[in-house]
Amino acid sequence: MSAITLALPSKGRIQEEAIAVFETAGLPIGRPGGARSYLGEMAAMPDVTVRFLSASEIARELIRGTIDIGVTGEDLIHETAESGPAQVEIVKRLGFGRADAVVAVPDSWIDVTHMADLSDVAADFRARHGRWLRVATKFVNLTRRHFACHGIAEYRIVESLGATEAAPASGAADLVVDITSTGSTLKANGLRVLEDGVMLKSESVLTIARNADWHTGKLATLDRLLGVLGASKFP
Amino acid sequence: MTPATRRASLAALISSPGVTLAAPPILIPPAAYFDLAGEELGARMILTQGTNGDEFCLRPDFTLPIAIEHIAAGAETPAAYGYLGPVFRQRADGPAQFDQGGLELLALPDADAALDRVIAFARAVTNLYSVVGPNIRMGDIDLFETVLDACDMPDVWRPRIRARFGHPQAMAALLDRLENPKSPSAGPAGLPQTDIAEWVRELMLTNGLSLTESRTPEEIAQRYLEKQALEAAHVPARAIALLRDYLAISGPIETALAAVENLAAATGIDLSKTLAVTARRLAQLRDGLAGEVLFDAGFSPRLDYYTGITFEVTGAGGSVLVSGGQYDRLLRRLGAPEDIPAVGCAVWVDRLENEVNP
Repeated sequence: MSAITLALPSKGRIQEEAIAVFETAGLPIGRPGGARSYLGEMAAMPDVTVRFLSASEIARELIRGTIDIGVTGEDLIHETAESGPAQVEIVKRLGFGRADAVVAVPDSWIDVTHMADLSDVAADFRARHGRWLRVATKFVNLTRRHFACHGIAEYRIVESLGATEAAPASGAADLVVDITSTGSTLKANGLRVLEDGVMLKSESVLTIARNADWHTGKLATLDRLLGVLGASKFP
Repeated sequence: MTPATRRASLAALISSPGVTLAAPPILIPPAAYFDLAGEELGARMILTQGTNGDEFCLRPDFTLPIAIEHIAAGAETPAAYGYLGPVFRQRADGPAQFDQGGLELLALPDADAALDRVIAFARAVTNLYSVVGPNIRMGDIDLFETVLDACDMPDVWRPRIRARFGHPQAMAALLDRLENPKSPSAGPAGLPQTDIAEWVRELMLTNGLSLTESRTPEEIAQRYLEKQALEAAHVPARAIALLRDYLAISGPIETALAAVENLAAATGIDLSKTLAVTARRLAQLRDGLAGEVLFDAGFSPRLDYYTGITFEVTGAGGSVLVSGGQYDRLLRRLGAPEDIPAVGCAVWVDRLENEVNP
């Protein structure tokens, strides 16, 4: 058995760009079941089974080791599990799907320009307002890690699954941690990224699951695939 | 002795006469933990949700459920509670479920005697598990708060510094910043506070923010000016140096106490009253636990309901076997009408067992 499973994003521009990476390397991906099928095939390397999954599922399954290799956002690997980055190995950064995970505060907080200011505000907040400072985000793990790094403990996360940038105006939270590529959505909502508020500069990455069952046969297939793509070697 | 007989002996130690054995539910609401400890503990809890959206956690400790139940039941004081059972925390160095035992004493009239009773319990447990030459580390929250009070600085900085106690990196970063403040951002420099607040208010209204729900214009303007003032060396260098020197003190009892006394003498602050209590507590730990005691000025849990002293006992393996201390502010934080003196300790059963059979 030497077959390995490659997972690619199942929709949008990142799907097109991911497929293009393989095509450029001389490994076109066909979809025998039609464009809506969730299975693909790589004629040049039949030992590679291609599956189309959502980017967040790819991150989760890579961490669990139920798929062998995949293309997903680096932010999702950090977010899916606290120890996620240690469970996988990034073998090639793909240069698309760029987005930064950032800490942004209302522009009217003219006294807050750095994380250090935020730590002062957080320390005072409860005594002044009778509640913790609230941070809206869908990136719970990333936020906890970044805030802990800056010694900030006095806050609560409000989980937000969409339109996070609206949370300060709606009163759901005081500030946000969000993903942004140009910063224009944040700006349009009166939010400003802190000068040291970039938590992660993310892009799409070709990633290997360390926890997959890497026996010799599979490693040989993987080695050939990585060679053709010009990616780093594994292990 | 087998692990089972040791555990039975531990259970007997915990349910000694006069101690109420507490058995709080395993599945409890997490609100009190979030309320007291913020998001940092949130990352360590095991959380789940009911079908109706209610949040639950697997109890991460016994102290809080015991204190909450004590208040809810309007139980009589003084009270002594014991416990033994599983607690649940996400951690990198071991399984998320592990056993803890412990003793919590609430509102005992004599704080010295209460601490001695907790120490005697800790001693009996370490003896049971044949812990040889225990190393004891003690920190003193009262002493730090006294030092901080004696430092010459604007009051606004004291709670912020207090909030960093127990987190050496965050404390160092804050002291560095107080020493070398950043220039304030471009903005309405040179304006009086009311005008700045007015400017902020306009900006908030433009962006659709509530003027009262979150930080207010006045609050922002005030801190903006405070940040500008900091640049003009608002916190004296000698106050920062005093805090740094104090937090660096760590060593055996006599050396450490002498270092604190020298520092007080050199800076002209009076610590004698608090320091006498520190010395007494250190002696209680040394005599009660028959081990080496280290005083570490910067050692503290990062939770503001702890008061007085905090201590931990490590064995040959280096891991913490017993941790305890005083937490007089906890019950009031949970809704009691006044501060209730409290002291207790938790013992880590699996680690103690490892001391016997490494």
